[in-house]
This record gives sequence, structure tokens and C-alpha cells, in this order.
Amino acid sequence: MFKAKRIIKTSGFIAAVLGMGATLMSLLPAPTSLAAQAQAPAQAPAPIKVPDPTKVVMIVNRDSNDIAFMDVNTKKVVGSTFLGNNVNPHMVMMSPDGRYVVTGGTRANKAYIIDSRTLQLVKVIPTDLGPEHLSFSPDSRWYYQGNPDGDSISVIDMQSLSKIKTISGLAEPLNITFTADGSKAYVGNYGAHWVGVIDVRRHELLKKIQIGNVPGVAKLDPERYLGEIKGINIAAPSVDGRYLYAADSDLAVVGVIDTQTDKVIKTIRVGKDPWRIYMNHDGKYAITANNGDETISIIDLKKNEVAATLEAGPDMTGVNFAAGKAFVISSTSGFVYVYNMSSLRPAGRIRLGTNVNLETATTDPSDQKLYLAESTTNEVVIIDARTEQIERVANVGLFPWGTHIMDSKDNYCH
Amino acid sequence: MNVSDFKFRLMVCCALAAMLAVLAIPSSLAAQTNQTELVQRIKELEQQLAALSAAAAAAEPAAVAQPAPAVAQAAGQRGGNAPAGQAAPAAGQRGAPAAPPAQNPPMQMPMPAPNTGPLNPENTPPDSTNPQDLLDRIKTLEQRIRDLETGTVLSDPETRVRKVEVYVDPDGTIHDQPTPGAKKETTYQRERVYRRQTINEKIEEALADAEEHNVKVGVDAGIVAQYAHRTQGDPTPGDGHAYELVSADLFFTAGIAQHTLFFADIVGLSGPNPEGELQVLTLVNGYSARLVSQNDISLREAWLRTELFGQKLGLTAGRLDLTNYFDHNMAANDETTQFLSDALVNNPALGLSTNGSGLALVYDPKNGFTFKVGLQQSKTEAKSLSESMFTLGEIGYLARIPGLSEGNYRVWYRTDNGDPGTGYRIAYGTSIDQKLRPGLTLFARYGASQAEVKRDHFYSGGLQFDNGLGIFPGDAWGVGYGQNDFQVGGKERLIEGYYRFNLTEKLNLSFHVQHFWELLEGGGKLGYLIPGVRLQASF
Repeated sequence: MFKAKRIIKTSGFIAAVLGMGATLMSLLPAPTSLAAQAQAPAQAPAPIKVPDPTKVVMIVNRDSNDIAFMDVNTKKVVGSTFLGNNVNPHMVMMSPDGRYVVTGGTRANKAYIIDSRTLQLVKVIPTDLGPEHLSFSPDSRWYYQGNPDGDSISVIDMQSLSKIKTISGLAEPLNITFTADGSKAYVGNYGAHWVGVIDVRRHELLKKIQIGNVPGVAKLDPERYLGEIKGINIAAPSVDGRYLYAADSDLAVVGVIDTQTDKVIKTIRVGKDPWRIYMNHDGKYAITANNGDETISIIDLKKNEVAATLEAGPDMTGVNFAAGKAFVISSTSGFVYVYNMSSLRPAGRIRLGTNVNLETATTDPSDQKLYLAESTTNEVVIIDARTEQIERVANVGLFPWGTHIMDSKDNYCH
Repeated sequence: MNVSDFKFRLMVCCALAAMLAVLAIPSSLAAQTNQTELVQRIKELEQQLAALSAAAAAAEPAAVAQPAPAVAQAAGQRGGNAPAGQAAPAAGQRGAPAAPPAQNPPMQMPMPAPNTGPLNPENTPPDSTNPQDLLDRIKTLEQRIRDLETGTVLSDPETRVRKVEVYVDPDGTIHDQPTPGAKKETTYQRERVYRRQTINEKIEEALADAEEHNVKVGVDAGIVAQYAHRTQGDPTPGDGHAYELVSADLFFTAGIAQHTLFFADIVGLSGPNPEGELQVLTLVNGYSARLVSQNDISLREAWLRTELFGQKLGLTAGRLDLTNYFDHNMAANDETTQFLSDALVNNPALGLSTNGSGLALVYDPKNGFTFKVGLQQSKTEAKSLSESMFTLGEIGYLARIPGLSEGNYRVWYRTDNGDPGTGYRIAYGTSIDQKLRPGLTLFARYGASQAEVKRDHFYSGGLQFDNGLGIFPGDAWGVGYGQNDFQVGGKERLIEGYYRFNLTEKLNLSFHVQHFWELLEGGGKLGYLIPGVRLQASF
């Protein structure tokens, strides 16, 4: 009898433990598709395709609607993540902790979160209209997805993998920059001439900083100022993070913002229609690509003035720095223009093809090689910065639009 | 069965029941959690579908607006957001009642979801707790969203033609990879991709494509009004007279082959120019250099340009103005936007007076050096290419002197047989523009040309201010000085100052003040103060 009671008690304890375990299991986070989960039997863990996320180049393929991952050593595509038809991803970025890769699907109005090692699509999150450029907070907690068509930013919590807020009140947010301590984020508004300051703790728009005045003669030229606004396309931080440099296309100026006071301390006049500003890695110079007059303006960051204005090519999409040189991508000409960043003089140009469209590039963390997306022939062109020799990696996906490497200093988008 | 045995069995049964009960609690909890998530997921999907439907309806108002309310009427509020093209057949397939099209459709907005309709075609009640029902609804909704995203695109799938390299064997079979016996060939092939584009993007693309293939026409028009006041010397005919010269250049540009361009410039000039009366050695108004005859239209330039050797070498041939290729200067090289005085537009030592047939080769490796060679006839009434032929060569260098911004340094050399019977004459010169700081450019020119006696010398220099150093951001102003020391015919000194208001991107208004000092060959002196206004438009 005593034995029987003990058996009953033991059985009851085991049952209770099993029950609690089952309850806990049921409370674990749900996968992407609940319907799929319900129907699919238990699956083995997904294989690791990327053991070291710092050693891959991520390639955004706009027309094949995927993110391809190319090993930097073997130069082979080790895998890709299909996002869905008509997604048209725009920009890709890896979280600073290397855990996730994210992209915004411009025509799907969704954010996509990919496991950076298994390359599995972990979560799809609806955003506002036309998600394009994005940024991570330095602690990898917050993924800010800019929605230029929705004039908003979707705030995605990377712990719960869910959208927690939509920050509205912006005007075509084209770029997001977090401060080094992650307390604030600055938003370049292409549909206006101000930079938005966001309190990251509350995810609220705190302040609008005007970069420059529209000149008085604008009344005589309404077409230029009312037809289509091309305002601030970037607010890029200096290497030490103390200042932000905000380029305004219409006003042809770069505003220097002190991030401690959030005030414009200087306005630098550059060439016509500057497309973003790119920081040299040594922190001495920055370059604006002036598509209005096909020049570049090299800005001395110590003096905050233009040190040189040099001829460049048409339709510039980006600038990369490596081996003491600046590489300026001229999209439609098929050339990459090279500049010596010591002498601030032109140093030739690299011909990558005829009738091709060059998109954007990333530089490896050691500043030796550039990985340039070329959308006409579906290639990534690897440029050795020192020798300027090129190597082509074909068939990376359809219409490669941009590249990204974790820890690269040149991660940008169109 | 004895009592103790019965008790034992009873206790075992109780224990088993307790165990089952304990096991059942968490599973029912899990089921509730799952149901909540499923319902939440359904709501998300419904919202997503409604938003997509509304977007599609807004994008295709003509096709969507009318039938959509019909669905809304038939299927309830939830159906109001679905595009008719999608919703109606789907509703039909799922058994939803059809309804006639309604008139005057209201604005399509997301609405609360009722029980049935395109968003819930399987008629699952919203409060259904059957997990399978919920899962079915999720599956259906996910499928409908997928269909909507794929099918209801704002444009057709993108089609483009790509250049592909293939390997063709002797039998004509195409291989994607190198194959023994196969020859590498280039061909073209269409591909279709799932790129969703908005109507705006498609329109912009079409316009850009049309522009690329059309002949581009540009206009550069200028009106220059000047007044001459004699400040020194004996009375001359031009004293106190006003002048106005109107010029219109019509440009035609067309890309006719890979890296090959055709360009033509037709110019018409009208109005009295100051040089007709004033005794000056160089042109007061640089526009006058274009004047062949009053009120006539003339072909100023017509040439073909192509780029060779990786686009490093530019070759231009036709009727040219070689001053467009040689003796450049960033601050003093354009009578339409900078100084008016011809001596501050080009170096008189170049000697080119009229445009003519010629050739220009420009080698630009984009490393700061440029090399140019050109030849051009500079005589309108020449009977053959042997007459009045000018040959020029120039080396340019983009320097960056420590402490200064960039500067362009050029030296040139020319020969010509412009004067019959004198053989070939030579000239040489330099043109420099050096940025001293952002917005401030120093310029200078020097030239010497072989004259009948010794050499004529020319000097000029000045400053240009721009890049925000004016009243408005696009304004520019400058001051310049020029000196012509001719061995025969006298000498000349001139200064000019101008301020150019950049009124719009296409319109400039500038005010000029010039003063000429003419040292006449006989020892006399003449001075003219010439204020002027220039209105220039280019579009």
C-alpha cells in the first residue's frame, strides 16, 4: 500500500512536470507562418550556411527579389534568401551583433528579417509605404526602417521581432543615422530641407533642424523649387561622431550639425545637386558627388570648407574609400573615377564596361577591395583598390542593386 | 477482488485521472494561446489585405472603382476594400453572392471586417474557435495576399533585353558554358522579371528613353546693351552713343552611335555693335566675334565627335571653333556669362578670327593631364584647305598647390599661314586659373605672337568671385585687366568689372563696366567708359 501511494505520488509529480513543460513549450515564440507550422512535421534545425557573417558580401537583387550571400574568400555565392515576387528589396544591412540581416521590400511594403547564419527568412513585418533605407541602433536592439513614400519610419524591436511603432511626421525620409550612444537618430528628409532628430528612447520626433534657406530668387523660378523637391539626402556622421554632415540637393549645400547641441554650425556650399556625402576613413575629408555639374567637392573636415572641386562623371551613385584613394561610381558611364586623397587630385578612372549600369559598392573592412554591384550583367565587380585590377563574379542574382559587408565603413545605398 | 485490492485499483485510477487532468491544463492553455495568435494573425492578414486592396484600387481607379462597391454591397463592408478584378471572381468561386455594379463609387477606404466577403470567402465566423478553421482562413488569406501582390501589380512585369554570351557548337547548339568545339558568341535575349514599378516610374522611364533618342535642341540667347562715353582724347564718332547686340544660338545635339555625337550651332546676330564706331584694338563686346553679317543666320559650328580607346581620346571633326578646345579658362572664357571684353574671353595671340573646317584631338586619361592637338582654317573666303590653316597643341595640368585649392595650368603653341607671303608664323601662350579659396579664383593669361616686327605681347589677369560670395547663391562677379602690346597699330589697356545675377537656372542678368585706353600709333590717346547690361538665357 505504501509502495502504491509512493508510485501514485511519483506519477503525479512526473505528470505535473510534463504538463509544465508542455505549457512552456506552447508559450515559445511562434514561427513565421502558423499555418505552415501546423501542417509541417517537426523539422531538423536549418543548416548553417554562413559560419562567419563578417566574411560575406550581402547582395540585394532587386529583380530576383532575394538577398544573395557571397563568400569574400571563395568569391562564390553560398546561398540566397528569396523574399517573394515583386518585393523589390532596396537596401540590405546586417545587425551590428551579426545575428540578423534585414531589408526593406519597396514594392511589398514589408521588412524582411533573415537569420544571418542559416539564411532563413525569420520574419516578415508589414511597414509603411515604400520601405527603402534603414539603420540599426548600435546595440542591435532597434531596426529603423525608413518609408519614403509613407513619410515615416517603422520601428522594429529586434528582440521580439515585431514592429512597435511608426514614427510619422517626416518628409520622404531617405537616410537614418544613429548616434554612437544610440540615444538619438537623425533623419535626412529628401522631401524637405530639414534633418529630423528622433529620441530613440521614446521613438519620437524631437526636433527639426533646418539646414539652409531657399534663396530669395526662388520666386522667379517656381519650377525649380515647386516642381520637385530634392532636399536632404543624408545626414552622415563624422568619423568621431561629433558632427553630422547633411547634404541638400536643391540648395547645393552641406550643413554641419553639432550632435551635442543639435545646431547647424556651418553651411558649406558645394557643387550643384550633391548626392549624399561620403566620409573618408581617416576623418580628414568628405566628398559630395555633385550630379548637377558632374563634379565632386572634397571637403576639408577640419576647416569645414571645400578643399577641391574636381571633374567627375554623370549619374554618380556613391563614393568608396580604400588604399588612400576615393572611388567615385558613375552609374551610366560605366566608369569608376579615382582620386588620390593625399594630393586631392584625379588619379584616372577604371572602365567597367560599355552600356552597363553601375550601382553601389561596399568596401571590405581592411580597405583593400570594393564590391560593386553591376545591374546590367548581373555581376559583382571586385576592384582591388591598390592595383585597380578588377575581377567579376557573374550570376549573383537579377539586377544586383547594392552590396553590404558587416563592419565596412562604406555601407550605403542609392 | 478483495477490498484492499479494489482500493488499490481505485487509487491508481484516481492517480491516472489526476495525471491526465494535469496534462490537460497546459495543453488547453497552449491551445488558447495558439487560438489567440491565430486570431491575431488573421486580423493582421485582413488588415494587410485591406490595405493592399485599397492601394490597388487607388492605383487603378478606372478598372477598380466601379465594381468594388458592388462587392462591398454584396459581401458586406469587408468586401469594400478588395479590388473588383480580384474580388469578384474569387467571391464567385467561394460562393459569395454576385451583385450588379454600383454607380458613383465612393472613395475606397479600409473598413471593419464583417463575417463574409472577399476577405473571408470561406464564410468562417470570426468567433470560430476551431483551430482548423482558423488555420484554413490564415492559409486562404496568405494565398490571397500573395495573389494580390503578384497579380495586381501597378505595372506589367518588367521586360528588358540583355546581352548574353553563349557558346555555339558547329551544330548550332547553344551552350551556356564553354564547350569543346563551341565558339563564344554574343547575342541578345529578352528576360522578364518581377519588378513592380509605379506608373510614375514607367512614365519617367519612357520620357527619358525618348529624350535619349531624340535630337536635343538648346537655345542660348543674349541681349547686350552698351553705352560709350569718351573719357580721354579727341572727339570720336562713338562718343555718347548706345549700342545693342542681340544674339541667338540654336544648338542641335544628337547621339548617332556609341560614344558619337553630332552637334550644330546656328547663330543669328542683329544690332549695331560698338566696334563699328569706337577706335579700339580688341572687341568691346565678345558677341561681335560671331558676327559675320547683320541679320543673317550662319552656321557657326557643325561637327561630329567620337571617343576612342576607352573614351580617353576624343576626336572632333567638322566646322569648328578651336577656342572651345584651347586656351580654356574657368574664370574668363565665356562672353555669355563672364566678361564681355573679347580680350578677357580668349587670348588675342591665338589669332583665330573665324570658325572653319578643322579637327581636334583631345587625350584625357583623367589623371590631371590633358593633351590636345588641333588644326583649323580661319578664313571664310579660303579657296582650299591650304589657306589660313592654324595648327595648335596644348598641354594642361590640374595642380593643387599646398595651401590652395585646385588650379588649371595650360601652355599652348600654334603655327599658321594666315598671312599670304609671310610663311608660317608662330605664337605661344598660357592660361591659368587658380582657386585661392572656395569661391575665389585668380586667372591669368599670357600670349606672344610673331608679328611683322618682333612679337606682339598680351597679358591679362583678374579675379572671379562665386559660390556664395554674392548677393544670391548662384551669383558671380569679377574684375579683370587686359593689356595688348602690338608692335604695329598701337597698344591697348582695358579693365572690366561685372556682376551677374543668377535669376533662375535659365536666366542671368549682368551689369558690366568697361574702360578702354587706346594708345594710338601716332602717340595720341583715347579713353572710353562703357557701361552695359547683358540679359542671357539658355535652355
